[in-house]
Amino acid sequence: MRAYLIRRFMELIPTALIIVVGSFALVRLAPGSPFSSEKELPPEIRRQLDAKYGFDKPLPEQFARYLGNLLRGDLGPSTKYPQRSVNEIIADGFPISLTLAGVALVWSLLVGITAGIIGAVRQNTVWDHTAMAAALVGISIPSFVLGPLLVLLFALRLHLLPPAGWGDLQHVILPGITLGTIYAASIARLTRGGMLEVVRSDFIRTARAKGLSERLIIWRHMLRGGLLPVVSYLGPAIASMLTGSVVVEKIFNLPGIGPYFVDAAFNRDYFLVMGIVVLYAFFLLVLNLMVDVIYGLLDPRIEYS
Amino acid sequence: MFCCALALLTGCQPAETDFFGTTRPRHGPDELWINNAGEPEWLDPNKCADGNGGEILWNTFAGLVQAHPATLEPLPEIATHWDISADGLIYTFHLRPSEWSDGKPLTAHDFVYSFRRLVDPVTASRYATNGHIFRGGAAISRGEAAPETLAVRALDDLTLEVTLEHPVPYFLQFLTFYSFMPIPQHVLEDLVARGIDTDLWTRPEHVVCNGAYRMTEWRFRQRMVFEKNPRYWDAKNVSLARVKLSMVESSTTALNMYAAGEFDWPGSNTSLPAEFMDELSRYEDFHRHPYLAVYFYWINTRAPPLDNPLVRRALSLAIDREALVTHVTRAGQIPSATLVPDGLAGYEAIALPLFDPDQARQLLREAGYPRPEDLPVVTLSYNTSEGHKQVAEAIQQMWKKELGIRVDLENQEWKVFLANAEQMNFQVCRMGWTGDYADPFTFLELLTTDCGNNHSAWSSPDYDALLADANRESDTRRRLAKLREAESLMLQDQPLIPLYVYTRSQLIKPYVRGIEGNHQDRHPWKHIWIDERPRNNERKAATAPRTEACRPATTTAEAA
Repeated sequence: MRAYLIRRFMELIPTALIIVVGSFALVRLAPGSPFSSEKELPPEIRRQLDAKYGFDKPLPEQFARYLGNLLRGDLGPSTKYPQRSVNEIIADGFPISLTLAGVALVWSLLVGITAGIIGAVRQNTVWDHTAMAAALVGISIPSFVLGPLLVLLFALRLHLLPPAGWGDLQHVILPGITLGTIYAASIARLTRGGMLEVVRSDFIRTARAKGLSERLIIWRHMLRGGLLPVVSYLGPAIASMLTGSVVVEKIFNLPGIGPYFVDAAFNRDYFLVMGIVVLYAFFLLVLNLMVDVIYGLLDPRIEYS
Repeated sequence: MFCCALALLTGCQPAETDFFGTTRPRHGPDELWINNAGEPEWLDPNKCADGNGGEILWNTFAGLVQAHPATLEPLPEIATHWDISADGLIYTFHLRPSEWSDGKPLTAHDFVYSFRRLVDPVTASRYATNGHIFRGGAAISRGEAAPETLAVRALDDLTLEVTLEHPVPYFLQFLTFYSFMPIPQHVLEDLVARGIDTDLWTRPEHVVCNGAYRMTEWRFRQRMVFEKNPRYWDAKNVSLARVKLSMVESSTTALNMYAAGEFDWPGSNTSLPAEFMDELSRYEDFHRHPYLAVYFYWINTRAPPLDNPLVRRALSLAIDREALVTHVTRAGQIPSATLVPDGLAGYEAIALPLFDPDQARQLLREAGYPRPEDLPVVTLSYNTSEGHKQVAEAIQQMWKKELGIRVDLENQEWKVFLANAEQMNFQVCRMGWTGDYADPFTFLELLTTDCGNNHSAWSSPDYDALLADANRESDTRRRLAKLREAESLMLQDQPLIPLYVYTRSQLIKPYVRGIEGNHQDRHPWKHIWIDERPRNNERKAATAPRTEACRPATTTAEAA
């Protein structure tokens, strides 16, 4: 297990390097500059700005300097928000994106697993059909439709929750539900499928033969087997909740880092784009590794070598 | 974009009131909640170059002069009065004794420091060109002279003398712009002494200002809170004690927050979502006024067949501008075939047909294209936006229908689009230009040979000479006539195709007073106050005229 982990960690390094080189090249190859606007910039001023951020140096030198700073944990300055560093921007925004993803995850697990269990235990009944129909709807509704509908109902009509903004827990309920619903729907279907797969297996029959209560069988044996596909889904799902919060954060005006992923690229805010890419890449790599590890803990058939 | 479903649902609801959303303030009478549509890039008057920063600077700093809230005419602010030399080159400003928000006296030296810093290349201000109005400014910006050579000097602590490069009839009005606010030299020097990056001087923990409000809280990308500055020279006439400025980028989200009462006014920088405009315009809290900005198409006059002025004029005449604003843009825009809006500072627009397809076809024949299929395909580029796309598609149709010209549309992301415009890598491309000051020159300057914003490659020594001549003219009527002659000459060659003058559409809660619909969309918070009557008698107060004069005798009255 230990050797396996070390090996996997070693593999992460070249992957991360490829991501950094690739995104640096892509960002810098895009036409335009962080300082272009519809108003002309006098050449001397432009020269000063380029010099300030080191854009006047040859690209390989800029990359070497970036990589050096990155290794020291310095993500560089933001050209769009010159009074903040990329580190500051991420430190401000990332906890908010994490909170949002956390709420979305709790919501999706609660709703998804419950619906999945109901579907599996009451297979082919009205309960099952209702739960699975709801899941189908959940998968089909994009967040940019669900979000505004929730705002309309809970904020503008019932006045129960604020329509947007960030401050306390009530601000994160609607965005969390909006972001989590599509995952809840997938989790419901995966849970149901996974449980149905194990429901007729030998160890469940053995459990029944031992005279275990139905409740114990469901919770201890069926669910554990049934959750395997959910676990392998959760890694990419959490990563996608983190990186895919652009739309939800825009709709609810949450000051997370999601929107930067798009806006910083449009603004040619080179260091900010790179910072977000590096952060997201790190989380994707680590989460995938974690899933592989947890998968083995849940499924005795998997061995690490 | 996000909220089509929401629009349909809210749009279909039976209106309970004639107002959009709640009409009860969610705060006391000395507060205002508005939106700023996004974080500013800079809060440094010398460096700021975006509307998000401008909104804040106009309210936290006070310059030599200020703009009248309705007419935008220059009024005294830190300068109580001024003398102008006979040749119109030297302005001597007499300053009132006033203080920075930290209690230090504000002097003419703070203005000298600011104006030098504006043009100094080390500052790297994107608006350094604003300082080229002062004698020596351009040379300093090019790095050819020291900032100390700028023709701006403090005769004593309360007298400032500035010398202009050439007479500028709109100088005082231009001076209301935020680039010309004073800078607290002592604060920047203190930061240098403490080893802190001077770029951070506008953060709330360091900032010192001299305007009606000062920032007390800044939660990045959430909100800023401003409190009345008791040391502002005219603080006694400032009504609101506190302004909360949110940073909501999505206009649809801002609209929802306005409906829920989280905003009293979405603010100057928030546009209403175009797709809901028809619906919103039915409410009583909807207001619309002309805005000093022109939407037009640049033509690359070097790219055949557009190197022929007859072809360019044909293209302009074949656009049905009335139909464009009525059916496509639909926000009450004013169709215009000329670059300078009619009535701007007394300017009478040149009478040109808004649409004349017969003459357009005639011109095309004269240009040597009797058969439209002889004309090569024309490419029209625009930057990514649903609105620009719709305008481009409409014009593509009009050119095809009226002239038989085939047009390819090219949608480009903003920075790519700018790079192509700069390198003249286009045939026809869209542009919008907002006037920096209410004078025809702000638009006409675009076509001068030396102007870096001229993307037509069109150049006319006669045009340049006429504009220079006009600016040397002291008689307003004669000056306007010369400007008109220049525009007429330029439009003969049609290096650009004007389409319409912008409008600004706003939602303002009925209890918010003192917001005047001026054509630069500048609305100083110090003139705004909350009308408490809606709490008692909602309907009556709500329908009272909103534009009644700013409450108590304000700076306006004092200045007059």
